[in-house]
Amino acid sequence: MEGPSSTRWRIAAGPGLFRLALGSWTGVVLAFLYLPVLVLVAYSFNASRLAVVWEGFTFGWYREVWGHTPLLQAARNSLVIAVVTTVVAVVLGTAGAWLLHRYRFRGAGAIETLVAIPMVMPEILMGISLLVLFATAGMPLGFTTVIVGHVTFSFPFVLVAVRARLRGLDPALEEAALDLGATPLQAFWLVIVPCLRPAIVAGALMAFTLSWDELIVTFFTANAASATLPLRVFGMAKVGLNPMLNALSAIFIVATVAFVAFSAYLKRLAR
Amino acid sequence: MNTPTLSRCLLGAVLALSAPAAVRAAGVLNLFGWSEYVPQTVIDAFTKETGIKVNFETYSSNEELISKLVAGGGRYDLVQPSDYAAEVMIRQKLLAPLDATKLGHRKNLLPEFQKRPHDPEDKYTVPYMSGTVGIVVNTEKVKTAVKSYREVFQPAFKNRIVVLNDNREIVTWALYTLGLPINKIPKENLAKVRPIIAEWVKLVKVFDSDSPKTALLNGDVDLGVVWSGEAAILWNQHKKFQYTIPAEGAHQYIDVLAIPTGAKNQAEAHQFINFILRPEVSKMISAAFPYTNPNGAARKLLTAAELANPASYPKGGKIETFRDIGKTAADIDRLVTDLKSAK
Amino acid sequence: MSGVESAGGARRAPGWRAWALLAPLLAWLLLFIVIPTGILFVYSFCERDELGRVVYTFTGESYARVFDPIYLRIFGWSVGYAALTTAICIVVGFPVAYQIGRARDPWRHRLLLLMMVPFWTSFLIRTYAWITILKQEGLLNAVWQALVPGHGPLDLLYTPTAVMIGLVYAYLPFMILPIYGSVEKLDPALIEAAHDLGAGQLRVFSAVIIPLTLPGIAAGTLLVFVPSIAMFAITDLMGGARVPLIGNVIQNQFMQARDWPFGAALGMVFMALFAVVYWVLGRWREREEAAG
Repeated sequence: MEGPSSTRWRIAAGPGLFRLALGSWTGVVLAFLYLPVLVLVAYSFNASRLAVVWEGFTFGWYREVWGHTPLLQAARNSLVIAVVTTVVAVVLGTAGAWLLHRYRFRGAGAIETLVAIPMVMPEILMGISLLVLFATAGMPLGFTTVIVGHVTFSFPFVLVAVRARLRGLDPALEEAALDLGATPLQAFWLVIVPCLRPAIVAGALMAFTLSWDELIVTFFTANAASATLPLRVFGMAKVGLNPMLNALSAIFIVATVAFVAFSAYLKRLAR
Repeated sequence: MNTPTLSRCLLGAVLALSAPAAVRAAGVLNLFGWSEYVPQTVIDAFTKETGIKVNFETYSSNEELISKLVAGGGRYDLVQPSDYAAEVMIRQKLLAPLDATKLGHRKNLLPEFQKRPHDPEDKYTVPYMSGTVGIVVNTEKVKTAVKSYREVFQPAFKNRIVVLNDNREIVTWALYTLGLPINKIPKENLAKVRPIIAEWVKLVKVFDSDSPKTALLNGDVDLGVVWSGEAAILWNQHKKFQYTIPAEGAHQYIDVLAIPTGAKNQAEAHQFINFILRPEVSKMISAAFPYTNPNGAARKLLTAAELANPASYPKGGKIETFRDIGKTAADIDRLVTDLKSAK
Repeated sequence: MSGVESAGGARRAPGWRAWALLAPLLAWLLLFIVIPTGILFVYSFCERDELGRVVYTFTGESYARVFDPIYLRIFGWSVGYAALTTAICIVVGFPVAYQIGRARDPWRHRLLLLMMVPFWTSFLIRTYAWITILKQEGLLNAVWQALVPGHGPLDLLYTPTAVMIGLVYAYLPFMILPIYGSVEKLDPALIEAAHDLGAGQLRVFSAVIIPLTLPGIAAGTLLVFVPSIAMFAITDLMGGARVPLIGNVIQNQFMQARDWPFGAALGMVFMALFAVVYWVLGRWREREEAAG
């Protein structure tokens, strides 16, 4: 929505000083968020094996990461798990938020409380109880069990974010769509979901981040084939975090940024 | 998100998910061990020689190992508990007896690591690596001699000390200073060490069991009571970090290899254990991780520098292993938690 | 606060189709939340034998121990840290969320992604990077001592300050993202109108912007406060594990202390407390919405 409304935003946002302050504050916060990232990238070039002492510049760790199959495999697993988790969590969370918002279900309070429980449940409790469940059900550990665990603790975040946006949504929108002859499903998919997009994006980002870095629940629900990056990384602290891990993180950051830049470029080409 | 990439990711995920569960093929070994304790080079060498594929899962504490085994049942063929954890597992009948005929290289082990209290007949376990818990000092910052727990926990060192984040260890050190037994801990003894630990907790800057060397390397602390492995790495980094066994007594741990009951690939597991016991393989492990090697034949192959490391091969001192203490573990946890959270 | 907020009365009674659509969510809740919680519930009434195994006898002993002053004190600390983290995140995060929400299209998504990318590095590596920055011979002290010579190094690492830095750092995105979701739909016309009516910047903020983004702030508060109570990894790594929090204690019961029933009991009380408060707040909000 560019053009007139963005002009109105500029007016609406008030005097230039306010906008300047806002912009600067965002810059400060982003700098705060990136400070450790810069440090960790710097140390990926550190010749010393022990990442806390600086001993000279080298590309060696990047070379080593490239050949380290278990680590790359773990990174691949983490990525696959995080993506699938995000998709399932978004579907479950968005649908759940919409249904709970639109309909007066009996026991809605209980349902919503249950949804919030994984947010408060300590990870060790979730991990062990899920493992006992899977073991009793005779289900072998692997990608499926890990993803189940990850979705369980991340979909509430999606649901809460989408619900918050629904709270401010004009009910007239859906009514108008229905009046114009849409089925409830069409109204949902074609009218409501686009309005919810920012909240869905927010929820998806949260779910992905939660899944990517999770350790304890994953420990109890994974097997060797589905080992994730945090599982491999955590034990490495014992002999000193290998700068290989810094290199891997740096590679991932560059890859993400490049991916985004590339897709933005493609979008611009398509226009 | 770019749709083609997303669908490719999903496809990959679906394929991964629909892959059949691990089949009990001959030529597979499911190893569950400490992270960073079995070098990848050793695993690769084993696979190259025998053709057995190794599925390596990791944990970072004995209790994680026990929890996962107890909650999920054994799908592992080989595990790596510490001595007291092995003792618990033997008594809970979680470990299978070993076939001594398949472990010909066992004779390479030094006698002081055999027939230990956790497994008096060496029926279930084979020592892997060993170590102690002792005092490490940054001799550039600390000029006085520090040879006992009492000398570590002095007001002069307030806020400059790192210790393990292990409640049982802390209680053990306090018990040692009073000359009390460390493996039979009645409630009166806990009450006796309480004031000592209360004082100690106030002097400690960092509690860290995963990487206490970090604080020492960073210069945020000057001395501490840590694993010998950590101290060995420190010493390799800079000789200013000196390690000593405390005069009152120290905890020695022996990490072992064992086979869980119901393991499906016991033959492969035995092969792996025997492989590890070879001196040249054991030497590879020592080269990667400077712990105390219980393999006498391997020690002969070590370099002078490795043998000179005071943390890897400390001289003398009164050392004991942990035994399982049952419900006292809960009392210890409560005691130290209480003292730590008091302001 | 009518008009923009959806009125509670517009919600319909669910037909069988709505229940059918809700079924997957209900099934998930049942299988992976209710049943595991049930398992823990059973454990909490069990006993621990000498070897650390769970013995299925019925006893309330674990629950009695939960209400020991030690654990109540620890619980208080945990809530305190979580509350402070949440408050700081709101203050720090709201302007950022507002900025991102009102930014023009390509920048909006770029800023979002830019904000999240640091969190796609590994948690442990990030935290060790913070340790490198905050340690006595670290970056921050290097800058500090250059700016203020003669002053000793700041003792930041392994103190509650470092823990707060770590907590705010870890949870900031979970405050910014929900607020962004709420801010993004803010109609500039309303703000314009308020300005036209003569309201100053501050008045516009407090009387228009905040109330309209309140759902987002409430969501962010929930998503930061609740998980951070059980958080312990940051206190361990950046606080030197000096102050045990409820997350540590529960973790310990399954680890060093090998007392699963007690750990389960602590967890059940902790979760029950939360569930009650959450449910009550939910009912209160329902009544508010129906009245408003």
